[in-house]
Amino acid sequence: MSARIGVAVFPGTNSEDETVQLLRDCGGDADLVHWSQPEQLADYDAYVLSGGFAYEDRIRAGAVAAHDRIMDYVMEGAALGKLVFGVCNGAQILLEAGLVPGTGPPRKPTAAFTKNAPVPHFICRHVYLKLAIDPQRCAITASLPEGALIPAWAAHAEGRLAASPEHLNEIVTGNHLAFVYAHADGRVDDAAVPNGSALRCAGLVNRGGNVLAIMPHPERDGWNFNHLDRRDEESVLAPSGGAMLFRSFVKALA
Amino acid sequence: MANGLQGAPNVALRDDEVRRIKQRLGREPSLVELHAFDAQWSEHCSYKSSRHHLAQLPTSGPAVVLGPGEDAGALHLGVHDGDRYALVVAHESHNHPSQVVPFEGAATGVGGIVRDVLCMGAEVIGVADPLRFGRSSHARYVAAGAVDGIGSYGNAIGVPNLAGDVYFDDGFDENCLVNVVALGVVKESELIHSYVPKGAEGWDVVLVGKATDPSGFGGAAFSSLTLDAQEIEANKGAVQVPDPFLKSVLMRASYRVFKLLRERKVIAACKDLGAGGIMGCSAEITAQGGYGAEIDLDRVNVAVEGMAPEVIAVGETQERLIWVLPPDVAAEAVRIYNDDFTLPEVACNARATIIGRVTADGRYVLRHRGTVVMDVENEFLTGSIRDDLPYTEVIRHDAAVQELPAVDVEALLPLVLAHRDVASREPLYRRYDSVVRGCTVLPRGAADAGVLAPIRGSALGVALAVAGNPRYGRIDPGYAAEHAVVEALRRVVAVGARPIGLTDCLNFGNPGKSDQYGEFVAAVAGLARAATELDLPFVSGNVSLYNESVDGRAVPGSAIVACVGALENVGRAVTPGLKQPGSALLWIGSREMVVGGSVVAELLGIEGALPAISYPGERAAVGIVHDAIVRGVLRSCRAVSDGGMLTALTRLAFDAFVAGRAVGAEIDFGNPFCETGGFICEVSDDAEIDLTGAMRIGKTTAGSELVVNGVRFDVATLHAVWSQPLEDLYP
Repeated sequence: MSARIGVAVFPGTNSEDETVQLLRDCGGDADLVHWSQPEQLADYDAYVLSGGFAYEDRIRAGAVAAHDRIMDYVMEGAALGKLVFGVCNGAQILLEAGLVPGTGPPRKPTAAFTKNAPVPHFICRHVYLKLAIDPQRCAITASLPEGALIPAWAAHAEGRLAASPEHLNEIVTGNHLAFVYAHADGRVDDAAVPNGSALRCAGLVNRGGNVLAIMPHPERDGWNFNHLDRRDEESVLAPSGGAMLFRSFVKALA
Repeated sequence: MANGLQGAPNVALRDDEVRRIKQRLGREPSLVELHAFDAQWSEHCSYKSSRHHLAQLPTSGPAVVLGPGEDAGALHLGVHDGDRYALVVAHESHNHPSQVVPFEGAATGVGGIVRDVLCMGAEVIGVADPLRFGRSSHARYVAAGAVDGIGSYGNAIGVPNLAGDVYFDDGFDENCLVNVVALGVVKESELIHSYVPKGAEGWDVVLVGKATDPSGFGGAAFSSLTLDAQEIEANKGAVQVPDPFLKSVLMRASYRVFKLLRERKVIAACKDLGAGGIMGCSAEITAQGGYGAEIDLDRVNVAVEGMAPEVIAVGETQERLIWVLPPDVAAEAVRIYNDDFTLPEVACNARATIIGRVTADGRYVLRHRGTVVMDVENEFLTGSIRDDLPYTEVIRHDAAVQELPAVDVEALLPLVLAHRDVASREPLYRRYDSVVRGCTVLPRGAADAGVLAPIRGSALGVALAVAGNPRYGRIDPGYAAEHAVVEALRRVVAVGARPIGLTDCLNFGNPGKSDQYGEFVAAVAGLARAATELDLPFVSGNVSLYNESVDGRAVPGSAIVACVGALENVGRAVTPGLKQPGSALLWIGSREMVVGGSVVAELLGIEGALPAISYPGERAAVGIVHDAIVRGVLRSCRAVSDGGMLTALTRLAFDAFVAGRAVGAEIDFGNPFCETGGFICEVSDDAEIDLTGAMRIGKTTAGSELVVNGVRFDVATLHAVWSQPLEDLYP
């Protein structure tokens, strides 16, 4: 039997359907698990936390959701080595739960994705994620080529990595900086960063390499029809672009 | 009967209307009844001065699944996996609330229209927002707050913002326009209606959503009055409070209830709580099926104790809807909302509650604390009423037709691109999520229309665009309405879609003033003429009257139109931007040199009549574009609108520039700023194109440069000029 992926839904989650669809189109066995039945999560082999505004982003995005019962199961699973993948709001929750970078105790975050800078507004912009670690450093990225460039959409008001200088240093020295923002040609500079994120950070991985948190949404550029320039009528429904990261995740579960 | 009294404050009913109610009841109406009739007989609910004019609009055709009359209309999209799918479309305004409290007013506008689509059993897939703001400093505050309100609501509930437009005109200084369009998708066999089916006697009336509070009391009547600056403060309580967090959960829980109905094979009724609150909704949903209702106000979940019965009954608290369900299904639906989706934990005292039942006697009865506080004939309460108001016929603007054969392109192009109605809208729409749901093919701003592939696993596509030029509306509101239909259609055609239907929102002044009402009447006739000529039905719409400044001037006549298009395969959508050097550039369609109402006319201080529409010419142009797509020779395309042909071409060059393609163009054309219409098309081969309806204006070139009548422009420089102007308002 193939590994089962539980896509957790908090009140306010809004990207669950496309996340499940892309996981399935990439060969994964994925289902939604709702907040009123978190105990179901124990039966799953891996977890995905999708985008949205869990608990209305009260206090700080992800801060309340990090204390939901869903996270008891996710944290327990992560400690057992289960793969956990958070996108956008899911990434914010993983940081607030202290799972990534995971350099502090549980639910004592050492870093956060917080209000964009310099303008503290929601921004919707097409971006590229560039793999900044050895692909093998993280189980979820293990099938990606070195320096992989993944198209995605940034769509958030709180995506800027913020941490104290010591904790930022830990992120760098501990190889937690999984993804940075890049241009379409792979160049990395401040203009490629939509939100003022420290270290141009777009994604972080935990010490064990089984928990990955990324801010932009690869699943919104995950099929041929999502791309502005690459379509034809026969293959328009095929997964592509952002799907490469989802495929790598599914592959890691095989 | 309790509380019988007259002259209640904040009631907009006229004396003759109160007399009519007394006569029919044979007694004084109770306070609750007075407020109930005030809401139901307001223009907002009853369309009393507009309905008979709206009857001119064509509303039928092979693509129409459901015409106007329910919460939303529906159009046939296509067949996938043996199932017929419908697009559900609704169009609303939230003008007065947005002027008074911009953030909340605009946000609840999105919330309301999304519920209209949801209540038809559809999954909500997209919104669009046509906006009209003033230019004063207060208007800038309104413009900033309204955009934030739309973004914060739509982003949170996870519905992509697909299309929209914005114009800035001092005619909107004291009365902005915030229109919202919403789209949904549903299998045609699973469409849910806004009225109870036959055999519904004894069924439960289930109220779902936010706890009823005193916000939004008097909203319908408020929307049917003009805005008086001194009363704006007092009216703030009539604006509802948005809760997108609760809505997000409510939508998902409702999708689960749709599934329950499919499993149980039950035909139920569902309706959004909008104007007139619990009373308006429960009365209409039962009356349209020929029934009455008995509602117990004590069973309504309220936010504060001690609310007066008329506030519970007609208050317009947001995030609520009503189901009418057979009792066994009702119990299961209540469990889904309250237990599976934990509504009471999501928002204070939010829940699903059975508040009454459907009755066969045709009476509409409200009880409060054991007393009957309202008992009227449901048909009398909700039946159509009509005001035949006098109007002054609008004489089509008789200013001379201004032909302008040639202009100074070098000086004008940067000014046109930086004009407030032409400059890049990206600073505004980058605050909107246009890609949530993962179905987006062409996001907001990428092309003339937004395009989605809304059904998972299907290549069927939908395109959506809006139009309605207030500069045209000022000159000739009737002809402007025709132009709005034609322009919305062109935008949908420009992305490769087949137009299938229309919605409209008529934003006009005070119907009690014959000249302002005359503009409305002329606009309806204009919409009807254009839609009939182009063979497109209106399936949904809205009328917003009383849009006036404090000193009684109406806003520029604004018939705002949305056009919905279908694509058999989204792989056929026209992708943005010039593609390669050496293509032919064609101007397909109308090419009159008339500048009336154009951006360049404003810049040059010229007045004049609007360009003429040739319907045979429009139909032919659409045919030529379609044909070029089918033959695979069309490389890129934009519709000509604000800023004229050269602006459309420059936009194609910008789209290539931001995609990293160094493609420019060289053209020759005397006055390339005319906004008379048509399409600018990049074609690989114009050999088989019927050049009687098209004109070759130049070719594409290598390098990011535009050469217009021998004048050279650097695309990057122009792009910077075009990108900057709205950055101040939307940093």
